[in-house]
Amino acid sequence: MNINKSNPLLLHPLNKWMKKKKWSWFPHQIETFHHVRTGSDVVVFAPTGAGKTLTGFINPIYDLIKLKKFKGLHTLYISPLKSLANDIVRNLEKPIKELDLNISFQVRTGDTTPYKKQKQKQKPPNILITTPESLALLNSYENAKEFFHNLKYIIIDEIHTFLDNKRADLLSLNIERLQTFSPNLQRIGLSATLKNKQDAKKWLCRKKPKIVSYENSVLPKIRILESKERIPWSGHMATYSINEIYKEIMQSKLTIIFVNTRAQAEYIFKNLWLINKKKLKIAVHHGSLEKNLRLKVENNLSKGLVDCVVATSSLELGLDYGDVEKIIQVGAPKGINRLLQRVGRSNHNLNTPSKAILVPTNRFEFIEAKAAIEEIKKNNLDKIDLKEGSFDVVAQHIFGTACSGQFEINDLYKEIIKAYPYKKLKLNDFKQLINLIQDGGYVLKNYDQFKRIFQLRENKNIYKLVNRRETRKYRMNVGTIIENPMLKIKLGTKTLGNIEEVFIQNLSQGDSFIFAGQILEFQSMKNNLVQVKRSKSLISKIPSYSGGRMPLSTNLANSVRALLAKSNMWDLYPEQITEWLKRQKNISKIPKKDEYLVEQFPRKKNFYTVIYTFAGWHANQTLGFLLLRGFKEFNYKPLGFVANDYAIVLWSLKEVKQIKTILNLGLLDKHLDNYLEETSIVKRLFRDNAIISCLIERRLPGMEKTGKQVLFSSDLIYTVLKKNEPDHILLKSSYEDAKKNMIDYDRLREILKKIDKKIILKKLTSISPLAVPIILEINRENLSKKETDEYILEDLENEILKEANVLSIN
Amino acid sequence: MYYQLINFGNEEFHAYPDKSLYWKRLNTLIVSDLHIGKSISYAKNKQFLPPYDTKEILSKIFVSLDKIKPSNLIIVGDLLHDVFSTLSLKDQDHKNLSQYMKNTDFIWIKGNHDKNIQIEGFKNFTNYKIDKLLFTHIPIETSLFQICGHYHPKVKISHRGKTIFKTCFIHNEKIFILPSFGILTGGLDIHNKQISDVLGKNNLSIYPVGQDKVYKL
Repeated sequence: MNINKSNPLLLHPLNKWMKKKKWSWFPHQIETFHHVRTGSDVVVFAPTGAGKTLTGFINPIYDLIKLKKFKGLHTLYISPLKSLANDIVRNLEKPIKELDLNISFQVRTGDTTPYKKQKQKQKPPNILITTPESLALLNSYENAKEFFHNLKYIIIDEIHTFLDNKRADLLSLNIERLQTFSPNLQRIGLSATLKNKQDAKKWLCRKKPKIVSYENSVLPKIRILESKERIPWSGHMATYSINEIYKEIMQSKLTIIFVNTRAQAEYIFKNLWLINKKKLKIAVHHGSLEKNLRLKVENNLSKGLVDCVVATSSLELGLDYGDVEKIIQVGAPKGINRLLQRVGRSNHNLNTPSKAILVPTNRFEFIEAKAAIEEIKKNNLDKIDLKEGSFDVVAQHIFGTACSGQFEINDLYKEIIKAYPYKKLKLNDFKQLINLIQDGGYVLKNYDQFKRIFQLRENKNIYKLVNRRETRKYRMNVGTIIENPMLKIKLGTKTLGNIEEVFIQNLSQGDSFIFAGQILEFQSMKNNLVQVKRSKSLISKIPSYSGGRMPLSTNLANSVRALLAKSNMWDLYPEQITEWLKRQKNISKIPKKDEYLVEQFPRKKNFYTVIYTFAGWHANQTLGFLLLRGFKEFNYKPLGFVANDYAIVLWSLKEVKQIKTILNLGLLDKHLDNYLEETSIVKRLFRDNAIISCLIERRLPGMEKTGKQVLFSSDLIYTVLKKNEPDHILLKSSYEDAKKNMIDYDRLREILKKIDKKIILKKLTSISPLAVPIILEINRENLSKKETDEYILEDLENEILKEANVLSIN
Repeated sequence: MYYQLINFGNEEFHAYPDKSLYWKRLNTLIVSDLHIGKSISYAKNKQFLPPYDTKEILSKIFVSLDKIKPSNLIIVGDLLHDVFSTLSLKDQDHKNLSQYMKNTDFIWIKGNHDKNIQIEGFKNFTNYKIDKLLFTHIPIETSLFQICGHYHPKVKISHRGKTIFKTCFIHNEKIFILPSFGILTGGLDIHNKQISDVLGKNNLSIYPVGQDKVYKL
């Protein structure tokens, strides 16, 4: 730190309050204050509990009180979540009220009433706390320029959550818009600790960019749950350890159990209740639950009225629940950053370590958990890859811009390419996106008389919205988060939450399933409402939610490989894990850190090839499809494949003799296009693209399909477009999205580039111990849809274990 | 083209995967719910669907006419999506249509979407009777066997844990409903009240339309 002289914050209006609370200023707060005052855009990296929120407000509050009187909107604060925005208001309220400072502040989100919104427009507060979507909306109002022309600061909270998704694109475009309205605007980003801090700086900062960083020297205490039970070969439900998890809950005041999927949350919640002899107060929290149910849990959590909450990433961010003593992570950590974020939810005191327990649900996850703990000790975080901007978001932005008034095409283009994700946006693509908003942008000009925006006759470079009615449509469609079609679940007259339409379609009347911790029987579906009643059934399905499947981070994957290869560590593991790895070493091989083990063996008339890539689920899934095509080409008669985070298994009728010839970069170049075409990936992304770019209207929750349901579907549009106009910008956009985001293209490319020299091929006579988990997944995938019955799986497991001759390890 | 043989009203029909129905005895081709110009009609509400539906629907029907060379073509309603749809018929389309009309008698039964629209050279009917069969867009009270459209039926098929929806031909003893011949037209689940009110729930014959084949459930 290079701030000499005494601490300038001692003269800050908040200093009195700080003193009263017996708090002192953090070094990063002093440093940020200095940089911002001297005109820099700043990103602040600090762990939770280090006064991050306050850091953002130090300069605005100082300016508002100490500098000349200011009227109107001064500072905009962007939060990733609505709930977090409300929390920020509460935190800001305390010092401002106590010190009686003359600063007005309000929140504006989708939940704000129209009346209040209207008031805000007429008489804006000094500080407005909002979300990226609400900012986009504000920018689309006719008086946007006037509203923002004096804006001094924009603060982006939890900026690390924005960097790698379409919301980041939307936000970056709208920040540039603000900068145009108010050229003196300064940017302040607040982030959890990141590996690639420079990237976050590049993304946000324009003026004298600065990074301020505060690292916590107290490391969290993380351990793996010690279990007397055997860790299962595969599966994700942690049934084996439920009693031990329960014990851990009993031993601490307040525990959050984090899981990776909503299905896991429901399942573990149910199982905990089955053994809840002490009548502990256990709650469940995930994104599909009705808002009121969620709020109730959050409330009880902050008041310490519960003993334990089972939660998904829905409880991961921000909100401060002071009394959380322990975090239990069930299932693979998947990434270091994510794990740290979760662990940080306990104990907000910086000087004492957070406490967390990892519960691996299967054997590979044990290694992964171990590796994650090692990396956290070394403070080796994951890199967040900045995303290149998507086309559809630009289209939406063009529409929004047109809603706020006419625009000049070159001015808008120049503004857009200032946004970091769009640095490389080509003028030609931009023009096509203008056309897309204008009339769909088709080569066949059929819609001349129906345009949404049109060029002025006197200046063809200026576009104008055709009528104000269109602004309403923009407002209905704003945002980049596309939910799967959801249906409301009703128990009597009470709404429990939303469930995916796809799941309900697979149910018949009388089927039971678990939701919100209750076993429910499906009765009927009417007008997008799913009517259920309570059920006593023992066999029930768990809704699985597509999406949300986080792949293993490259960083952690590398660490897993390294750890696996360290055979001197094995003796420290539970005996079953040690035995498992030792047997693998004897029967086949443990791959070294940079080796790719490929095992081949016959099994039940078929021929199996297992490739251990540790490339994460997305990349492995793609590789599986590509190999399927490669095998077909060589006439090995492949039958199928299954992929997980660590490996891929393919089975075929014939022996795969030339795996080294097939498994290389050529595979990707040769088959990727076909793959994208044949699988529904691009088609699915086209739907998102069509909605985000406002080509088709969003079906909002609760909005009913028109009576006759002869609506077009995005699939039909996709098919017609692909046949007639394969170069259309939205197809290009969907294809790019697929390549960039869905299939982990870059990661796969990196691996295939070097794989051929690093393949270790093992021909075996039967299945190896390392292959058992993924072979088990084959049967799970083929069965799970209909029969999630654990007994059947148990049975199958035993059968396969006998085959691998590894039963004795138990 | 493979067809599926369907017996209805003591007559034999061939159901084709292009969603047309052929009555061989009278050399008559039957289609329904083409919704020509749906895209242009949406465009007036600023929903810009690919403007290729009219072109595709016409070429599909022309292919079928070339192959089968029927004496009659019966359109069981909703040939056009709405008044704006005629905008999507270009001069060349009109020329082609009148060319085909030389060898085939076009019988256009009006549907709810196109009841107030005229196209030159097309003969209009509210319904059309041949022997014991009545062709009508929406079924009416009658003792005759009826062949209709309107509902765009699709059927939900669950198999091995997977669920798919397929457009289908469907009939009970007295009423036959054709699938939509259109391109951007969706469908209505046959278990939806609107369809079950017409067909009932039992003794249904359902023929899902696959890629190159019409199946029988």
